[in-house]
Amino acid sequence: MMNAPIIDPLQGDFPEVIEEFLEHGVMKCIAFNRRGTLLAAGCADGNCVIWDFETRGIAKELRDDDCLAAITSICWSKYGHRILASAADKSLTLWDVVKGEKIGRTTLQQTPLQARLHPGSSTPLICLVCPVSSAPMIVDLCSGSTTVLPVSLPDTGNGLAPPSRNKFSDGSAPFTPTAACFNKYGDLVYVGNSKGEILIIDHSKIQVCGVVQVPGASVIKNMVFSRSGQYLLTNSNDRTIRIYENLLPLKDGLKALDESNSGLDELDGVEKVKTIGSTCLSLFREFQDSITRVHWKAPCFSGDGEWVIGGSASKGEHKIYIWDRAGHLVKILEGPKEALMDLAWHPVHPIVVSVSLAGLVYIWAKDYTENWSAFAPDFKELEENEEYIEREDEFDLMPDTEKVKESDVNEDDEVDIMTVEKDSAFSDSDVSEEEICFLPADPTPDAPEQQDKCVGSTSKLADSAQSGSPLSDEAGQNGHAVNQSSSPLEGMDNSAAEDTGGTRLKRRRRPSDKVMELQVEKVKKSSQRMKPSVGLGTERSIFMQSRIALLAC
Amino acid sequence: MASAATEPAEAFKPYKLKHNLSGHKRAISSVKFSDDGRLLASASADKTACTWSPSDGSLLQEYQGHDQGISDLAFSSDARYLATASDDKTVRLWDVATGSLVKTLSGHTNYVFCVNFNPQSNMLVSGSFDETVRAWDVKSGKCLKVLPAHSDPVTAVHFNRDGTLIVSSSYDGLCRIWDASTGHCMKTLIDDENPPVSFVRFSPNGKFILVGTLDNTFRLWNFSTGKYLKTYTGHVNSKYCISATFSVTNGKYIVSGSEDNSIYLWELQSRKIVQKLEGHTDTVVSVSCHPTENMIASGALGEDKTVKIWTQED
Repeated sequence: MMNAPIIDPLQGDFPEVIEEFLEHGVMKCIAFNRRGTLLAAGCADGNCVIWDFETRGIAKELRDDDCLAAITSICWSKYGHRILASAADKSLTLWDVVKGEKIGRTTLQQTPLQARLHPGSSTPLICLVCPVSSAPMIVDLCSGSTTVLPVSLPDTGNGLAPPSRNKFSDGSAPFTPTAACFNKYGDLVYVGNSKGEILIIDHSKIQVCGVVQVPGASVIKNMVFSRSGQYLLTNSNDRTIRIYENLLPLKDGLKALDESNSGLDELDGVEKVKTIGSTCLSLFREFQDSITRVHWKAPCFSGDGEWVIGGSASKGEHKIYIWDRAGHLVKILEGPKEALMDLAWHPVHPIVVSVSLAGLVYIWAKDYTENWSAFAPDFKELEENEEYIEREDEFDLMPDTEKVKESDVNEDDEVDIMTVEKDSAFSDSDVSEEEICFLPADPTPDAPEQQDKCVGSTSKLADSAQSGSPLSDEAGQNGHAVNQSSSPLEGMDNSAAEDTGGTRLKRRRRPSDKVMELQVEKVKKSSQRMKPSVGLGTERSIFMQSRIALLAC
Repeated sequence: MASAATEPAEAFKPYKLKHNLSGHKRAISSVKFSDDGRLLASASADKTACTWSPSDGSLLQEYQGHDQGISDLAFSSDARYLATASDDKTVRLWDVATGSLVKTLSGHTNYVFCVNFNPQSNMLVSGSFDETVRAWDVKSGKCLKVLPAHSDPVTAVHFNRDGTLIVSSSYDGLCRIWDASTGHCMKTLIDDENPPVSFVRFSPNGKFILVGTLDNTFRLWNFSTGKYLKTYTGHVNSKYCISATFSVTNGKYIVSGSEDNSIYLWELQSRKIVQKLEGHTDTVVSVSCHPTENMIASGALGEDKTVKIWTQED
């Protein structure tokens, strides 16, 4: 990253506290774009919203009048041009992100619980869908045709998973949804079935190339690859998250499989796929909470694959477990007492985003302690007090030996002001593809009354105290800041912040004009007590006016 | 000088005055080209900003509404919006094409002195006499962050090329680098002497910063190492916040204004003065280089009040 040389490496790489929360209707599921600059969220009312993650404001709304059912999953195309949303009314909707328009809509036989666009291209033509109670399928986005994928080995039946012994924790029906995901470039689909088998499938030929049996033979609920494609995570009904190492080459995995395939003609069907399977994945680690025996929800990797997170599926609690890849539990994040619905780790930063049952999106970040040595470079931060012993002549004045500042810089050395280094975090960028990293921000015009307010001089003070505060009342627009303890400048805006502090998190609608007028009055009164360093000119004149008023009595 | 990697030292083609743009009624404070080079904007103490056509110097639009003089302006990346920083303590956003005021950003408690968009143009950064740097959300106008940047007026603010860092400079003698997403201070650049810093900006690749100080000096610093690499002198700058920029369309140069009413051009590597552009009748306080053509725009203070465009053609 650009500022890599000056970032303090001592700060931990995983989040610790809720920094902010986003509010817009009731959000159900979320997905970051490739660089984490935009966050898409699907809502309970069938609409989707794209957040500008840098400003924590809404960049675009994808309003869908045809869809009134809750969005069950949301997914970006590789370079951010498309968003695919699946909904509880059995529909799949494909959006053009830049235009904010619907490209197409397809209705399936069953509600899709998860829909993933093919990850290999910027305008994918197919997607992988996991319906609520049938096998995963490939859906052609142009024609709407569906191709069901096998969920068990060819010789065990007709392609449908047999009734499983392992029921879901809520005791639901035998036909259980299977988990499925594309590998990094989308040439293979990995399907996890109810017998705890991972099937590696060539989706173009609808053929099972390899199979791996997960220990415990329990229903596989989720499967996801790390961003690099090097690791695969499975979440099973036996309350265990497992990490597999992907042994295939990241690009052209299918080709490598075909090559292994051709070398094993002497083996019969099942033996062959099992052997090939063992060359594709190898079990790396298992994670579980042996004390609470909690079921996991929405597990995934951090952007760099160094950390694994999983949400607790227990009702009424919002807990996020963080493990390092070696399996050590490093942190449990605990949020407000609302069930956790979805979870995502930012592709680049140590930030985690979680969705609660109430529809709020919580942003978890590192608990930042101010790096004071950044403010004064010749100061060094110490962990503990150190005893300092002065030299005898430490403070003697020695005019003759005063240092002459000699520049040890050779100013003739060439300086390159133009060359930009490639960002190593995104080494898989296809340079020819244009990536959507942000959406044009059009300033929302001020209401005419607000413009007038800024013209008069007395209301300027009020405005500066009110809208200047990061904890502004105009709720629903930008994220609501939660942890302000590290903001050193609170003092200046405190008078306004204190008054509204108790209610700011609850306010959902823009206050009425009457309320705003009253606020202006309140702030004007409290501003007379503000420190002289603020608004010097106007402050002084208010003081003078009130003195004159007193004298006149 | 073993500089085999650079372009061959061709004879420098001098710049000549092409257009003289008059119209402002008081000192010019800032001039900037849009990223696509189709517009030139100027800001003035007469409380207005203007946009001009660089090709024929004609006035395109006027932006009126500030209550006090304007100290700085900036184009959004797509040149659809203009941001102005004024002594009336506000930053205002204007629709470039129509000239109408779109938004007023209030929050600073003293003159706003400098302003810039980030490359994505979803955020604005402003520096003020109230010693703070503020980051704003362009869409909603909300102040996203207030950085306790300095202990004296902030004279310049600039984003690097991918918008991840902000650099700020101040009369307190310091330059500070900030993480744009978190608002945390990353680095403070300090030298043995710390004269007031009147100007700062990132180099095109974001690795270096060009720093102007009120001791008649410009320096190019590598902010990661905290050491300066080049020094440019010969001009006069001890009173005003004069801006400087990089000229990269035809060789690499540093261009700046000066209190002796000229524009100075130094060769980037050798630091030699290759040209002094004369013509203004007061301190040249702002310069800007066209993104693709060999064109320089300059603006001068109250005795002059003009914006001049200089090109290399005959």
